Parts: sequence; C-alpha cells; structure tokens
Amino acid sequence: MSAGRILVVDDDPQIRRAMRATLTARGYQVSDTRTGEEALDKVRSETYDLVLLDMNMPGVGGIETCRLIRSSSDIAIIMLTVNNTDKAKVEALDAGADDYVTKPYSTPELLARIRANLRRLPQAPDDAGLRQLTLQGVELDLPSRHVNVRGRTSRLTAREFDLLSYFLARPNRTIAHRELLQAIWGPDYGDELEYLRVFVNRLRKKIEPDPSKPRFLVTDAAAGYRFHFPH
Amino acid sequence: MIASKESKFHYIFEGYPRKAGRLALRFVLALSLVAAITFVFFRLIHVNATTVGFFYLVGILVIATVGGFPEASVSSVVAMLCFNFFFLPPLGTFTIADPQNWVALFAFLATALTASQLSARLKSQTKDALDRQREMERLYALSRAILLTDNTQPAAKQIAHQIARAFEYASIALYDRHTSEVYVAGPAALPEMDAVRPKLTEVAIQSRVLRESEGILIAPIRLGGEPIGSLAIGHPSLSDAALHSLLSLVAVGLEKARAQEEVNRAQVARESEELKSTLLDAIAHEFKTPLTSVKAVTTDLLSNPDEPLSPQQRGLVAIADEGADRLARLVTEAVQLARIEGGKFQLNRGVHFPSSLLSAALRQAKSLTDGRDIQLQVADDLPLVFVDAGLVGMVIAHLIDNAAKYSTPGSPILIGAGVSESSVIVHVTDQGPGITADEQSRIFGKFYRGTQGQHLKGTGMGLAIAREIIRAHGEDIWVRSSPGKGSEFCFSLPIASEDGAE
Repeated sequence: MSAGRILVVDDDPQIRRAMRATLTARGYQVSDTRTGEEALDKVRSETYDLVLLDMNMPGVGGIETCRLIRSSSDIAIIMLTVNNTDKAKVEALDAGADDYVTKPYSTPELLARIRANLRRLPQAPDDAGLRQLTLQGVELDLPSRHVNVRGRTSRLTAREFDLLSYFLARPNRTIAHRELLQAIWGPDYGDELEYLRVFVNRLRKKIEPDPSKPRFLVTDAAAGYRFHFPH
Repeated sequence: MIASKESKFHYIFEGYPRKAGRLALRFVLALSLVAAITFVFFRLIHVNATTVGFFYLVGILVIATVGGFPEASVSSVVAMLCFNFFFLPPLGTFTIADPQNWVALFAFLATALTASQLSARLKSQTKDALDRQREMERLYALSRAILLTDNTQPAAKQIAHQIARAFEYASIALYDRHTSEVYVAGPAALPEMDAVRPKLTEVAIQSRVLRESEGILIAPIRLGGEPIGSLAIGHPSLSDAALHSLLSLVAVGLEKARAQEEVNRAQVARESEELKSTLLDAIAHEFKTPLTSVKAVTTDLLSNPDEPLSPQQRGLVAIADEGADRLARLVTEAVQLARIEGGKFQLNRGVHFPSSLLSAALRQAKSLTDGRDIQLQVADDLPLVFVDAGLVGMVIAHLIDNAAKYSTPGSPILIGAGVSESSVIVHVTDQGPGITADEQSRIFGKFYRGTQGQHLKGTGMGLAIAREIIRAHGEDIWVRSSPGKGSEFCFSLPIASEDGAE
C-alpha cells in the first residue's frame, strides 16, 4: 500500500532522480516532470496527494505554477528553492504553498516535511457537534470548508481550515506562535513565523469583513494570535 | 529725448559710426526738403504767405513722421527763419513789420514743434512695441529650445548655443556652477569672452549685474535665491524685463537638466544593483543545484534505517556530506557578502525581545553545539531592540558557531545580553585559545582565518558579514581576548523607541 502519491517538479534531472529514488524507497508513488506546464497537465489528469515544486524553473516558473495549481486544487504543495530569504518564503506561501524547504535540503528533513503535510488534523473542531457557525455576518460551513462573508463565498484550503479549527477550539485565548506552528505544521516546526504571518493573513482575507482591521483573528503583540469569539 | 522706457542696456556704441552717419544724412534730407519748399514758392509758384506757411507745416510733419524728433525740430526752426526771411514782409530781412505776422510765425513754430514731437513719440513707441514683440518671440523660441535639450551634450552648452541662436548674439558665455564649466557660444566668440571667464564665477556668487567696458554684460543666474551660474552677453540689446525672463529661463533649464541627470544616475545605479542581484541569485542557483542532489543522496544514505551502512561506508559518506555542507555554506556566504557589500541590502526591521533573538539563534546553531555546555545569561527587563531579526540571528548563530569551533569540546560557552546607555550589548564568550592583539585587528576582514583554525571548516567570511550586518544597523561589533584566556565577542543593537520604531 502506497504511503502517498507525490509529484516532483524540478528542471534538474539529477534532483528528480535523487528524489525519485529516496521517495520510492520510503513507499511513496512518485511521478516527475521538468516544467510547470507539464505539472499543471499532470495535476489535472491524475490524482496526487502532494506536489514537491521547485521555485526556480524556466517557463511558467514555480510561483506561478503554485498559484495555478492552488486555484483549482487543495493538494498539499511544498516549494523548494535555493533562496533562503524571508521574502522568498513569504512569496511561496502567498502563492498558496503549504510549506517551504531550502535547497540543499537534508533527506530526513524533507521526509519529515512530507509526512507533516500529508497528515491532516481532524476535519472538525473539538466541539464535534458544530457544523455551521455564524459570527457577526460571517458564516462558516465546517464540513465543506466554505466561508461566506457578506455574500462573498470562498473555500478554505486544508491548511487554512486546520488553522481556523485550532483557533475555534480555543476561543479568546492567546496562542503562542510556536504552539500554533507545532500544532498545525508538526513537531519539527517552531521558528517559521513567516508561515503564520502568511496563513493568518490568508484567513483574514477570507473570514474578516475588513481584513485590514481584523475583528476575529487578532495579533497579540510579540506573543501570538488570538481568536476573538464574541459572546 | 528718446522714450524713457528704452532700456538701460541699450548700448549706444552698438554700431556707433554707422548711426552718426545716418543721422547726418537725415539732417541733410530734412533741410533739403525745407530748401525745396522755399525754392518752389519763392521762385516758381507765387502764393500768399499763409499757403506757404501751411506747406512748411506739411513738410515738417513729413520730416517728423519719416525721420525723428531732432531733424524735425531743427527743420522747424530753419523753416520758421526761411518763412520770415523770404515770405513775410519786409522780404529779405528777419524783421517783421506787421505784429500779426509775429503771432502767425510763433503759431507756426509751435505747431511744427508739437507735431514733430508727437510724431516722433509715436514712432518710438511703435519701435518699442516691435522690439518687445521680438523679445517675446525670442524668449518663446528659447523656452522651447530649452525644453528640448537632450543628454547628448552638457545641458549648459546646449542652452548657451540656443541663447546665441535665438537672440542672434555674436557671442555669449554661460557659467554652470553645478559643473563649474564655462560654455562660450555664438558665431563670433569674441576674445573678450575669454577675459570675462574669471568674472563669471564672481558674478554668480555675488549675485550682482556687472557691466564691462567692452560692452559685455554679466548677470547672475539664480533659482530660489540659490546662485546656480551666470551669463555673459556681448553687446546685449535687451530690456530689463526680457533679461530677467531670459535669466529665469536659463535657471529653469539648468535646473531641469540637473534634476534629469540625477534621475538618470539613480536609474543606472538601480539597474546595476538589480543586475548584480540577479547575477548573484543565478550564481547561487547554479552552484546549489548540483549540491542539492549530492546532499539529498548523502543524507539519505546516512539516515535510511532500512538499509544501514557499514561503519566504514558511513565514514566515507559522511566525508562527502560534510564537503557538500561546506561548499553550500561557502556559496551562501560568498553571495551574502557580495550582496551586503554592495551597501544596498535592505534591513527588514522590527521590534524584538533580545532573549527571543538569542533563543532562536541557539536553535539555529543547535547541530553545532550538540553536547556543549551552553550558559545563557540574559539580564532581566532588557529593552526591546529594533533590528532585522533574520540577519541579527545569523550574526549570533555565527558567533556561537565560532565559539564552538575554536574551543575544546568540554569547555562552556557563555551567551549573554545586557544593556548599556543607548544599546543592548550581546556577547558570546568561549574558553578557547584566545586571539592575539595582532589577529584581533584582522579577524573582521574578509577571508581571514585564525592561525589556530587552519584545520577547521569555515569560509573566513562569517565575521566580515557579521560586521557588515551590525554596521548596517548603525552599531558595532568588537572582540576582547588574550591568548590562553578565551575570547569574548560583543556587539551592540539599537533600542526600540517607545512608539515601536527607532
């Protein structure tokens, strides 16, 4: 039984070979392509659980490919790049990636990230009876992950949903960055503050009536984030 | 008297001999007309004295209209004398018998003088109006030309050329204070222009108009009270107003060129910065791509629990793995240093707790400090600092890394933070072999490796990068050490102000 289907997208043949060998040995089903265009075709025609996407590719490029995949799919995306700056990380996450790994990566680290991204938190908050939630003009349909704010409907990605569920289960409590990162991304995380920044902003865009003045998802100075749940 | 509005800059020596000759000719012609009227009515046609008087008047009016006031007034007096001598009884004398004729004679003289003056004034006003119109046209032509200056030649040179062309000056000189250059233009660049060169600077700074005896006018060019140059014109015939407009136009033209030049320079700098950045990214990518596959394979072999390597294989693969790590770090640091050295890296500053910067750096350096005795000493209630957390974290991690590398495995590493008057001081102390005074002055230089550390992994760039990063924050990094007693590296960080910024 396969541990998961992974699509590797990288223009360097050696990296594709190395990844294929490593991942196949760990029980994953691997298929690979060398361009963003081919990746888009494959994602449309076949089913994958996760995409390992190189950021720096000729043609469409990794960021644009990520955006295009994300526009039609909730599949987990991990971006890989040699660029280790916050700017590049934020760019990747903003484009819809779930995670980010710097090249050259170490194989155990990559495997841990893949496992973390294939693992999903329970699909509903701890308060299991809750299916539909309405807060001050914001309607959340938990099973379908749809959000409706003033007639504008959007769908949360799996990761956004996990984050929101975690907040909803702990209303009106400041949750530290580290706790959020380890709960949502996994035990190997903790310092990736830019992940939180990007994902909280994405959530705000979807659930806040005015994302620039958040009413629900508030920042608590240097400590963390808090979900303000009106009584 | 020529109309008082006429310019002070109207130089009489402009073609002086030619003008005097023309005036003499005009007098001759005027007096000839008076003589002709006298001759015709004295010898050829005999009419009464009143009729002759009217003809004299008409003649004077013609002279005043065609010529100017001087010849008209002289002609009036001559005509009056002729009228008296030839036509008023007793004829052939300047005496007048009938007192009524005295009245007629003075009426004649007054009419002649008034008419000639009116006519002359009208003429001079017309000429003035035409001159003003011409000046306006020239200023307009010049303003257009100044707008169209390009960057093929210095703007001041083009403007000088355009002034000479628009105003048809034989020679002008323009001094641009910004470049300290003098540009001489005009079809006949007069030798005097070379002589005024030193005076151009003086006029520009003193901001007063200077008139040279050779007929050269030197005027300062100012913009918003700021002297930006001066203009020398040979034999100008400009009204004050036109001169001021001309100077303002030149000021605007020079300023526009200077602003454009600044924009261009900034653009070039930005483009070369972008090019450099792109190039550095490309280099990093090209080096790291093959390293990625090497690293993927070595780490896989070393970590795969299903197919463990024999101790000997493990040792060999570990060598390749460490080599790849070292090469990757070398590329990263070389690119980082190149980027930082360009002086244009942007600090992504924020307000941070010094203690969280330290603990984040400790986690980053975790693999290098495994099994080491790390002692953290952070003072209570340290103020927040306003720094780029990523870059400062890199500096701390590098210092911890160095401390671990250059000291014996059993010795402790002390990491601390305290506060001085205006900054937070972070220090990393080891009990390694120490650094000699001579070496202390060199360790922050590029590619410098301590004499003790020749066998150690490293690029020799870390401290150079650390210094660039700390200096970019406006702070400093230093070392206190003596051989055999370990080393203490310290650097300062700016304290965040109350409102959350520096």
